[in-house]
Amino acid sequence: MNLQRWLYALFVIAIGFSPLSAYAHKESDAYLTLRTDTANDHVMHGQWDIALRDLDYAIGLDSRHDGAITWGEVKAQRKVIEDYALSRLEVKGDGLTCAMQPTGQKIDEHTDGAYAVILFDAVCDKNIPSKLTVVYRLMYDLDPYHRGIVTIHAGDKIAGAVLGPSDPVASLNLREPDRWGEFKSFVTDGIWHIWTGIDHILFLLSLLLPAVLIRRRLQPRGDGWRASAVLAETSGALMALTAQPPQYRWEASPRFWPACLDVIKVVSAFSLSHSVTLSLAVLGIVHLPDRLVESGIALSVMVAALNNIYPVVHKRVWLIAFAFGFIHGLGFASALAGLQLPAGAMAASLGGFSVGVEIGQEAIVLAFLPLAYMLRKTWFYQVVLLRWGSLLIIALATGWLVQRAFNILIPGFSAIIPN
Amino acid sequence: MNDTHEGTVDEVRRSSCCVVLRLFFPLLFMLPIPLAAQTARDAPYIPANDSVVLQLVPPRTDPRVRQFDQLRSDFSAHPQDATKAVLLATAYVDYGRSTGDARYLGRAMAVIQPFMALPTPPVPVMLIHATIQQSRHFFQASRDELTQILKRDPGNVQALLTLATVAMVQGDHALANRLCVDLTNNAGNFMGMICSASLRSLSGQGAQADALFSYVENPGPKAPPAIPAWIEGLMADNAARMGLADQADAHFKKALQLTPGDNFLLADYGEFLIDHVRAKEAIDLVGGDTQSDTSFLVLVTAEKALDLPKAKADMAEMDARFRSMDQRGDHVFMREEASYLLHVEHDPKAALDLAKQNWRVQRAPKDVRVYLEAALATNDPAAAKPALDFIDSTHLKDVTIDPLVAQLRAAQPDRSALNVSASASRSFSRGSDR
Repeated sequence: MNLQRWLYALFVIAIGFSPLSAYAHKESDAYLTLRTDTANDHVMHGQWDIALRDLDYAIGLDSRHDGAITWGEVKAQRKVIEDYALSRLEVKGDGLTCAMQPTGQKIDEHTDGAYAVILFDAVCDKNIPSKLTVVYRLMYDLDPYHRGIVTIHAGDKIAGAVLGPSDPVASLNLREPDRWGEFKSFVTDGIWHIWTGIDHILFLLSLLLPAVLIRRRLQPRGDGWRASAVLAETSGALMALTAQPPQYRWEASPRFWPACLDVIKVVSAFSLSHSVTLSLAVLGIVHLPDRLVESGIALSVMVAALNNIYPVVHKRVWLIAFAFGFIHGLGFASALAGLQLPAGAMAASLGGFSVGVEIGQEAIVLAFLPLAYMLRKTWFYQVVLLRWGSLLIIALATGWLVQRAFNILIPGFSAIIPN
Repeated sequence: MNDTHEGTVDEVRRSSCCVVLRLFFPLLFMLPIPLAAQTARDAPYIPANDSVVLQLVPPRTDPRVRQFDQLRSDFSAHPQDATKAVLLATAYVDYGRSTGDARYLGRAMAVIQPFMALPTPPVPVMLIHATIQQSRHFFQASRDELTQILKRDPGNVQALLTLATVAMVQGDHALANRLCVDLTNNAGNFMGMICSASLRSLSGQGAQADALFSYVENPGPKAPPAIPAWIEGLMADNAARMGLADQADAHFKKALQLTPGDNFLLADYGEFLIDHVRAKEAIDLVGGDTQSDTSFLVLVTAEKALDLPKAKADMAEMDARFRSMDQRGDHVFMREEASYLLHVEHDPKAALDLAKQNWRVQRAPKDVRVYLEAALATNDPAAAKPALDFIDSTHLKDVTIDPLVAQLRAAQPDRSALNVSASASRSFSRGSDR
């Protein structure tokens, strides 16, 4: 036989006549452990041990190509390893993907060699997962016999599964759905959304600032003006700006309760209208582009503040609140969508968020009203806060409006005030 | 034999977590029992400094690794080209075989998987697929696939040889015999003779097998060393079956000279040495290859046979290795594990259960042997009936098996004699060096 034939024979033997005993090493495994956190129901702590041999095959760890993977080489590739692995794993709480945040890197010795240990947190942001789902895709394209040995420690219970490219998904009921816990969590989100949403606060404050004051006309005007002013006030529309000096002067409201009633009207009107659009948007009945909504909110702030400089509407400020509340509601809805809603917890999340928004709003009002009432007679309140403050708000709102409507960044603007 | 480690934690070991896990695979479920120890034995750590070597991998200086790179880039340039895929997959399977690293089977499988999804996969792709199935001990699936290939291409040498191998390991000697004839017709005498000799060696015709093997023992200087090494290994097994220990030893040594460090030869020779009360030599043989599960198993068995103090720690390590195989649901190590349970852990009941499971998959002489040994050790000669029937039908002869058969047959009517014969068998097969 010539060499060609021998090589052929060798090929046939190597391929065909494999030994009848087992291979020396087991196939590729990785070990994934998830642990619930007793202090924080939203977080699961993960540890993922992946064989260095597998990572080397997948992304190349032996950068010196000397056949020895050192700790230095593994450390240098930490980000690459984490990006590679964590993008192939999904941890879901009630169907919502939890964010993966790497928290550390270690090494572990297993029976078949050294493994890179990826420590991470799966942050199931907005809900407390009652049903946990793991979607495991490590090595799915490189080794169909790879197996992920998954262990989940939920409190004192332990569950396990073996996942792999052909069976990548497993689910586990961690706990009874905690709708009340979710509701509370969304209440907090609603409060924070109002408190950190400076545009909502400024809109509300602009409308509330004049509530402790009474507007007095300085000079009697002709009928034509009055008619148009009444028309403007009734419709709640923006009055035409005139170059005339102020025709009005502010005086302190003599009694608390009428002022308080004004505040209640404004706040209730705002709540009513934004609740309507928030619900409609979350239920998918209404949808407006974010850009339009955000511009509308900026416009509403501008209008509300302008009304303090060139008052068109006074007695019926609640109309402004009611009219623009619709657009603010759509803004809340997009914030809520950004938080990801668990499908089974629509009521809890929508209700909780609305309640949170109300609480946040009432808290502002409760802090504002006594202070404003005490300060209402002062020059500081009437000029600095009301006039200059409103002017400042107009300036800000104009900036927002330009930025949001034209989708541009005004240099330096965002540095002064966050969008 | 000294039984200091008899039946402690091991009853619980296999029964608890992993078996149940497999049943419920892949659905997660809650278990009230602790699995905490299952993932890692030691806590994760941060190595002392950057230069600590954590893992050895095939270096770029290895020509085979450079060949992978070449084949891989060829294939990724032409991902639709089945020929290039087969070349790469073949290189992986080949490398996996010689190093015993089963990861390469999966890598090869990933390469050919897209082509297996075609309505009619190309024959070379199916061949690699069947070979991988066979290497992973999915013999029936492999057999079905090879049968299909031979329908499409009746003279395919590789399919004939692989199917013959599968038929022999499944104990289907009639099929193997037909395939050996086909092989002779299609590939010439060389392959045909090795096939027939292998079959005779399994059918109680050791002398004829040896004669046939010696025809092909020296294939000439042009043959790559892996070919004579392979034949020497087959001859060693045959000689061992015939009780010709010196000849077997010589064949093993020759084979290892030709392919030093071959993982399967190391394990095979190691087991032979332990059988012949040469456990110390077995330790020397595999001592440098402990990362390999098969070599490590030989090491632990030898240490236990010699009752070395190191045995206890290494048994714990071996146990952990078996557990991690269990966890992933591997069944390729059943015979080895049954033998370990019987001779090292002295848990004949668990060994018999595993030997019975193993029997459904594979029926090579070593599978027969552990089955009979476990049946004897559990005083359950009736359990051995399938294996005894198999020996009747194939006429298998093997000096490590024949006395077991005699004892089991003698034990059938009179169960009281069993204890004595069981221990007699064990001391023959796994005697202590002392």
